[in-house]
Amino acid sequence: MTNRNKLLFGGILGDNIVLSGLMVISPVIICGDTLKNAEALIYAFSAITFLSVLISSFVPRKLPYTAKIIIYAVISALVYIPVRLAALEFYPDSIGRIGIYYPLLAVNSLIVFQTEARFFRMKKLDMIISLIFCIIGFDAVMLITGFLRELLAYGTINSKIADVNILTKGFAQPFGGFIFLGLMCGGYRFIRAVVSKDSSKTRSGEDVSDK
Amino acid sequence: MFLINELITLLVANLILSQALGISTIFIAAGSKKNLIGTACVITLFTTVGSAAAYAVDSMLPYDMKDLRLLLYTLVTGAMYVLLLTAAYLLCRGKYTDFRKYIHVSAFNCAVMGTLFTINERAVMDSSLFTLSEYVSAGFEAGIGFIIAALILTAAYRKLNLSKVPASFRGFPAMLVYLGIISMAVYSLK
Repeated sequence: MTNRNKLLFGGILGDNIVLSGLMVISPVIICGDTLKNAEALIYAFSAITFLSVLISSFVPRKLPYTAKIIIYAVISALVYIPVRLAALEFYPDSIGRIGIYYPLLAVNSLIVFQTEARFFRMKKLDMIISLIFCIIGFDAVMLITGFLRELLAYGTINSKIADVNILTKGFAQPFGGFIFLGLMCGGYRFIRAVVSKDSSKTRSGEDVSDK
Repeated sequence: MFLINELITLLVANLILSQALGISTIFIAAGSKKNLIGTACVITLFTTVGSAAAYAVDSMLPYDMKDLRLLLYTLVTGAMYVLLLTAAYLLCRGKYTDFRKYIHVSAFNCAVMGTLFTINERAVMDSSLFTLSEYVSAGFEAGIGFIIAALILTAAYRKLNLSKVPASFRGFPAMLVYLGIISMAVYSLK
């Protein structure tokens, strides 16, 4: 895969924003305990991030950094309003469960900081492709987390009872979210190392000092 | 005994350990003592002053216009961001370049915005908390909670980055699991 392709399509595996960039992890940890919550968060994150970054790309580049950051945050806060109103129609129950994490999606670092550091250095079409793959990367993590945590904690899949004998209620709690995401990050790194045929370097750990 | 009770209260109400707010920032803060002090001070300043500003916003905003809360909080935080950068530039020019990065990291951050929303949520549920002093003290407590969580992470930071830890789990994954275990301990205190 060329560097350009990595930059465009890496949002799913190569440079996942949650598992590699550790961005937008609070909603995954706290609200990613059921598939229904995951669906609602995916909708909100995808809509807010895509529209905000797209609109923000029209902000003049010559403005000072601080001014641009504030403008990006304000654009995102404005986009949040119609997205939330639409969510009240489609996911009315989830809004209450997600609580403060709904508005917090609008001030995620992908919109506020990565736009400047990553997306706006690309051509418009490349930016849109890369952004879509970053969003898909978040969506995939959110879906997997919601599915597995719901199955392990409640023994259900999308609120339908599944045949699970041992339930681990802790996975529905914040500490369960921390531990689950930590394990998932480790698994992701391992898979990434294997995929990029760099597993020997991963195991030797030559770049890390003991001192 | 009073101090122990206060410490337990701070841990239980800790926004990082119980609500996972500001995790990526805390990883930056725990990296070195310099970063820890700089980030913790700026975050505490933002949460404390921001809480006072959030009180003003909540007092004036009618309930049926609550969808505008995020926008108003963002504007308030943006104003604080500019003011703090200006103050840092005027007061400590020699260290402005160093100090500036902490302000950039802290301004639009889940720890700060999450604190403002959490305080508002508590005030909506319990009207006795809807006072300026309660808002400011809750904002300050959130900042102190951030410092405590950062100190807890700093204590293990080096060990979690050792080569003895499997390469795939070294660093962030191990830190997340570590925070999960601390969070579990805090959960048991509730």
